[in-house]
Amino acid sequence: MGGLVYRLERVAYGYPPAKGPFSLELEALTIAEGGVLALVGPNGAGKTTLLMLLAFLLRPARGRLDFLGRDPWAATDGAAEARRGAVLLTHHPYLFKGTIADNVAFGLRLRKLPEAEIRARAAAALSLVELDSLGGRSVSGLSAGQVQRVAIARALAIRPRVLLLDEPTANLDAALGLRMEAVLREAGRDWGATVVFSTHNFSQASRLADSILYLSEGRRVEFSHENCFSGTAASDGRTSWIEPAPGLRIEFPGETRGHVTCIIDPSAIRLVAAGEKGGTPPSGPNVFRGRVSRMETTDAATALVRISGDLVFRATVPVGELEAGGISLSREVLLTFEPRSVKVVGERPAEVG
Amino acid sequence: MIARELALAVWVSLKTSGLAAVIASALAVPAALFLAGHEFRGKKLILAVNQTWMAAPTVVIGLLFYSLLSRNGPLGGLGLLYTQAAMTVGQIFLILPLITGFSYTALRQVDRRARLTALTLGATGRQAGWIVLREARFPLLVAVLAGFARAVSEVGIAMMLGGNIRYATRNITTSIALETAKGEFRNGVVLGVLLLVITLGINYLVQAGLRGRDGGA
Repeated sequence: MGGLVYRLERVAYGYPPAKGPFSLELEALTIAEGGVLALVGPNGAGKTTLLMLLAFLLRPARGRLDFLGRDPWAATDGAAEARRGAVLLTHHPYLFKGTIADNVAFGLRLRKLPEAEIRARAAAALSLVELDSLGGRSVSGLSAGQVQRVAIARALAIRPRVLLLDEPTANLDAALGLRMEAVLREAGRDWGATVVFSTHNFSQASRLADSILYLSEGRRVEFSHENCFSGTAASDGRTSWIEPAPGLRIEFPGETRGHVTCIIDPSAIRLVAAGEKGGTPPSGPNVFRGRVSRMETTDAATALVRISGDLVFRATVPVGELEAGGISLSREVLLTFEPRSVKVVGERPAEVG
Repeated sequence: MIARELALAVWVSLKTSGLAAVIASALAVPAALFLAGHEFRGKKLILAVNQTWMAAPTVVIGLLFYSLLSRNGPLGGLGLLYTQAAMTVGQIFLILPLITGFSYTALRQVDRRARLTALTLGATGRQAGWIVLREARFPLLVAVLAGFARAVSEVGIAMMLGGNIRYATRNITTSIALETAKGEFRNGVVLGVLLLVITLGINYLVQAGLRGRDGGA
């Protein structure tokens, strides 16, 4: 990895942009060249806003956002220049009217590359997303998955210094999603692209990213907040654990020592109403007793469970399961998750490199 | 009506209205692009004035410009009254709000993501603007053609500012008015049909040309 690509200091953005309260506020964030950073968090956490800021499509309402050592917003045309180095693939990509090949060549034509190189790069990018035979086809009538693949090819063809991806595999089936993950990994390897992507999928974040930035309500989740806990890891050789609070031992597989931060996938957490008759209480590692302190309903219901003091877990549970399990606000619950669903990241998970 | 007179009337119609459509589009489309892409105080008022202006009768515009261009008017020194230039100026004023209004609607319907996508792929602000225009090219073309059709079919401005001078400012619509006044209804109907055929032909050629360039997309 090389030097820093981004340095953010007290960056904030709100809707409308100039007014608070801000929907995204980050005290500090640095992203090093060649790294892969995953932005994880629930809907409305600020992932897309952060990607738009990193793509220079939004201007911070406050703070400083340096790209390759300079603040692009400080210079005339600085943002337009920076955009040439950082390409964003949006969650619902837009394809311009015309053919698939026209779309893939779009960014290359803007960069005034020789026509032969444009054709070669467009063909290679289409091949990566397995659409090589469809270059001449009109974009009208493409499925959502095909649109996503064309948009990925269009971004890859440019070979930008930074690839910003907003839920890049959201419209793809599982097999194609994995294939696209491999393509993105290759992008990083082939021309040293720095990749920043958002996802709801913790497993995907763990598979692809060097580092994970967990966002919630526009703020970086600090240590010992909602599913993100720090501590000094101890190990018995087979299993490791941290104790972020007395009596609260979070176990994970492998032998890890030193100061670590653990992140737990909200969808991997199971909730069982405490004292429920007829049910077998969960046993084994990572079982904690707490009380539901808040419930939110988004795509799936989200329950915030307070264990003791300030320790809070966020569990994403389908609404039906919550009802069936008799789980409601203020209810005492047993919270459990598998050790393998604990993602161990570095001391400062938001800083790549 | 002799063939030469007819050919000249057709030529005057095409020339004055075509020029008016081109000049009005050059002013109206950028204005519409600005209005569609920006929110500011007074925008609603501008749109309301534009909409009202669209309904202005041609004779009112003709009268306004007549008072400006007549010998005693503030622009009388230009000597434009009863010239093709005066007809074109009047027609520009007539169709400007129409093309602005249609273009504004067309550009508002372009997906907001088109501009953002162009920008993130490396376009400058100006290039992104062109790309938005390109995405709306068919409805924009309809706006321009509607402006041309309005200009070529109006009679009030052509009559008041052109004066219906034979071999000079007489166009198809003033010829129809003249032939009808003379009781030559048959000639009037033939000229009317000719006007429709010309408008239809231009519409077809322009749209076919654009489709051909797009490869049917």
